[in-house]
Amino acid sequence: MKVTVKSWTGVALWKWIANDDNCGICRMAFEACCPDCSFAGDDCPLVWGHCSHVFHMHCICKWLNSQLNQQLCPMCRQTWRFNDR
Amino acid sequence: MDGTWERLKVLFPVISSSLAESEVTKENIDSIYLELVSLGVLEEVSQLICIEIDKTLQTQVVPEFWKIFDTNLDAQSDNQARERCEFQLFRTTVLQLYKKFQIINRMLERLKYLYEKSGTKFIYNFDEIFKSVLLSQLPNNFTKLVYSFYHISFNVFINTKAEEDDDDDDMDQLRERDDCDGCEMPTARCQCQELVTAFGEINLCLTRMGLLDRISGYTLTNLIQDEIYGHIQKTCRGIFDTQHLKNLEKWLDTIVLEWLTRIFNNGSAKLDPSNLKIRESISYFQKKLKYLLYEKYAKTIIDQFFNIIIEFPDSQPAIDDLKLCMEKLDLRAHLVEVLKNSLETRLLHQGVETSDIITGYVATIKTMRHLEKSGILLQTVTEPVKEYLRKCRQDTVRCVVTSLIEETPSDLSEELARSEAIKAEENERNQDEMNNWQDWTPDPVDALDSDKNSAQNRRSDIISMIVDIYGSKELFVNEYRNLLADRLLTQLDFNPEKEIRNLELLKLRFGENLLHSCEVMLKDISDSKRINSHILECSTFTSEETPNDPAVSALIVSSQFWPMFKKESMELPEEINKLFERYKKSYEEYKGNRTLCWTPLNGKVNIEIEINDKKLDMTVNPAQATIIMHFQNQKEWQLDQLSTVINMPPSTLRRRIGFWQLQGLIREAKENTFILCDENHDQAGEIETETNVVLDEEETMVSANDQREEELQVFWSYILGMLTNLDSMSLERIHQMLKMFASQGPGFEFSQEELKSFLQRKVREHKLVYSYGVYQLNKN
Repeated sequence: MKVTVKSWTGVALWKWIANDDNCGICRMAFEACCPDCSFAGDDCPLVWGHCSHVFHMHCICKWLNSQLNQQLCPMCRQTWRFNDR
Repeated sequence: MDGTWERLKVLFPVISSSLAESEVTKENIDSIYLELVSLGVLEEVSQLICIEIDKTLQTQVVPEFWKIFDTNLDAQSDNQARERCEFQLFRTTVLQLYKKFQIINRMLERLKYLYEKSGTKFIYNFDEIFKSVLLSQLPNNFTKLVYSFYHISFNVFINTKAEEDDDDDDMDQLRERDDCDGCEMPTARCQCQELVTAFGEINLCLTRMGLLDRISGYTLTNLIQDEIYGHIQKTCRGIFDTQHLKNLEKWLDTIVLEWLTRIFNNGSAKLDPSNLKIRESISYFQKKLKYLLYEKYAKTIIDQFFNIIIEFPDSQPAIDDLKLCMEKLDLRAHLVEVLKNSLETRLLHQGVETSDIITGYVATIKTMRHLEKSGILLQTVTEPVKEYLRKCRQDTVRCVVTSLIEETPSDLSEELARSEAIKAEENERNQDEMNNWQDWTPDPVDALDSDKNSAQNRRSDIISMIVDIYGSKELFVNEYRNLLADRLLTQLDFNPEKEIRNLELLKLRFGENLLHSCEVMLKDISDSKRINSHILECSTFTSEETPNDPAVSALIVSSQFWPMFKKESMELPEEINKLFERYKKSYEEYKGNRTLCWTPLNGKVNIEIEINDKKLDMTVNPAQATIIMHFQNQKEWQLDQLSTVINMPPSTLRRRIGFWQLQGLIREAKENTFILCDENHDQAGEIETETNVVLDEEETMVSANDQREEELQVFWSYILGMLTNLDSMSLERIHQMLKMFASQGPGFEFSQEELKSFLQRKVREHKLVYSYGVYQLNKN
């Protein structure tokens, strides 16, 4: 007997490669979207800080915009700098 | 003296207890008068005569009359013959009574003459005495004869009427029959004419004696009631697509009332306008009969209501009729009772499929809507249906959702397509309501607790009514999501336009929020196609390509928005695994910071099997493909051996091998030993039948029920903590504690029952011990 696979359609879940599961600001899973979006993934990306903390981009931007003087990471209170990985 | 007595006897035979007729002249009376006056006994004699009349009435006339009514003719086998006999008996006895009545009346006239001659006033109200004596001896069963009498005459009358109305053609047809329709005698000896004459005669006698109403009234009402019922059954039963009420009323007004008029009006149908008394009693009868007609007709409709529901909307005219009847009569309670009963006996039992029950439910909603706008009856009537679906049919939600999105048009999918129109209608109606506030009518008294079921609620459309069975939209949306996921993952012929249209329609119903994840799911599908084509062209993927590689593609889904996938795992064939790894790498490169987790059991595989010079082209699921691929290199496998290699529990594996057994490619040679059937040509094509091959539809998604338990898993850590600290706790206690401390979390809304089944599962998994009504941690 010879079995030839002509085509194989698999199902996969996509995941962010991050050191945490949830966004520290909105408490939603990274694979979900921030409260303002309706689609996750490309439409609601993650950003990494130098301090190694990860957030939804929309969430951290909102947070940084609300800070008057200093731009701090809401988790570790270090100055927030985007890490362009 | 003796001479006077003899002469007196001739004048008043009653004093010798006889009612013989005699020739009497005025001279005879005058001479008797003189004789009695000269003897001075006029008063005594006249009183004696009155007493004798009373006596004769009581002991002779009346008992003789009633005796006839006791004649028992039941022995007569033929019903018609019996009725004819009874007709004649009644006729004779009434005629006799009338004769005696006349004789007595004549005697009384003579007596009156004597009195008036002497100048005293004659006070003897014979009519009243006659009536009271007669009625005081009324036997119980006297109505039987009367009924037969009027029944025959009614038949004759109806028949003559029908003949008058019929065309010539019909006349010919009638002639061909052997028996006359009216008197049911052979046509040659038709007695209709005689019967009509006799009938008129008897009625006249009864009227003259003032007995017509007393003797016939009750029976007449009964008879006509029966006739109305018979007529309705004959003309209307089972015919729902025309309105009958007008014709029935016409029938009553013309035929029945004309017959009645003839009875009361000495045989003539023309009513003298000056005869107020008869007119009054006729119109009284008419009112009573009309009421009866409505009642009988409405009840006939109600008795067949289930059929009407099934035939709706063709049965609309019948509903319209019932509506008219219900305006006049209070039949709500009756309707509710009958309909509830027939729904229960014909719809709500084991033998009916859930989808049929739902169809029936929808038809009931439509029918009752038509009958009554306010929807109160509907609500009362459908309560048992809802309860039955809720309690006894687990697959209700699935059936409803399936029929909502079905390809072939069904009631529900049509209803869904009308969503937009309904929304607009509702708005319009709301505005109308404010403009026409004068037309507001209060709810009928039998409305259920009115504050809970506001009018708005009751008027909601069919889909809302269906959803209302469970009282929650979420459940329906969840089920829809599961079904959608199932279809997206397993069906090849996925039609995105149609799914999107369905989704949009459902959104109108259930709101954007609840259906958001479904939208994401559909978007995942279209995104996957794009990513696929990108990756397949990408250099990372193509560089390692070998010519024998199967075409690979992936459905990349957003885990948060899809229903939970089964946790089950499986080891894929190596070449496929490698392909997937390459695919994953390309994806990581393409998307950056994102990776893929394959769910090996989901998807579909197109394989070609070459065996014994035959080629089979099949589309199977990954598990089936993996199994058959393992048999390619090794022709014989032990169940546990294969189970370890594929990393699949033996029971599941056996079930999946079943698929190939049915295909005739693998057989179970010994217990738990499976062999590929390709050496022996005879066996190859044979389908294995002796083994108990179990094959069931595989479901990719976790069912809503299991998902619930998964949600409860969140609380497992709380429960563990509680039991560690407090050692043992009862179910109620755990439920309460969770409510108190853990209720901030999302989705904390579960009943004690749900918690119980969750804890019982933990007991089965040996994580808890249940004894004496309390749960404890299993410390062993």
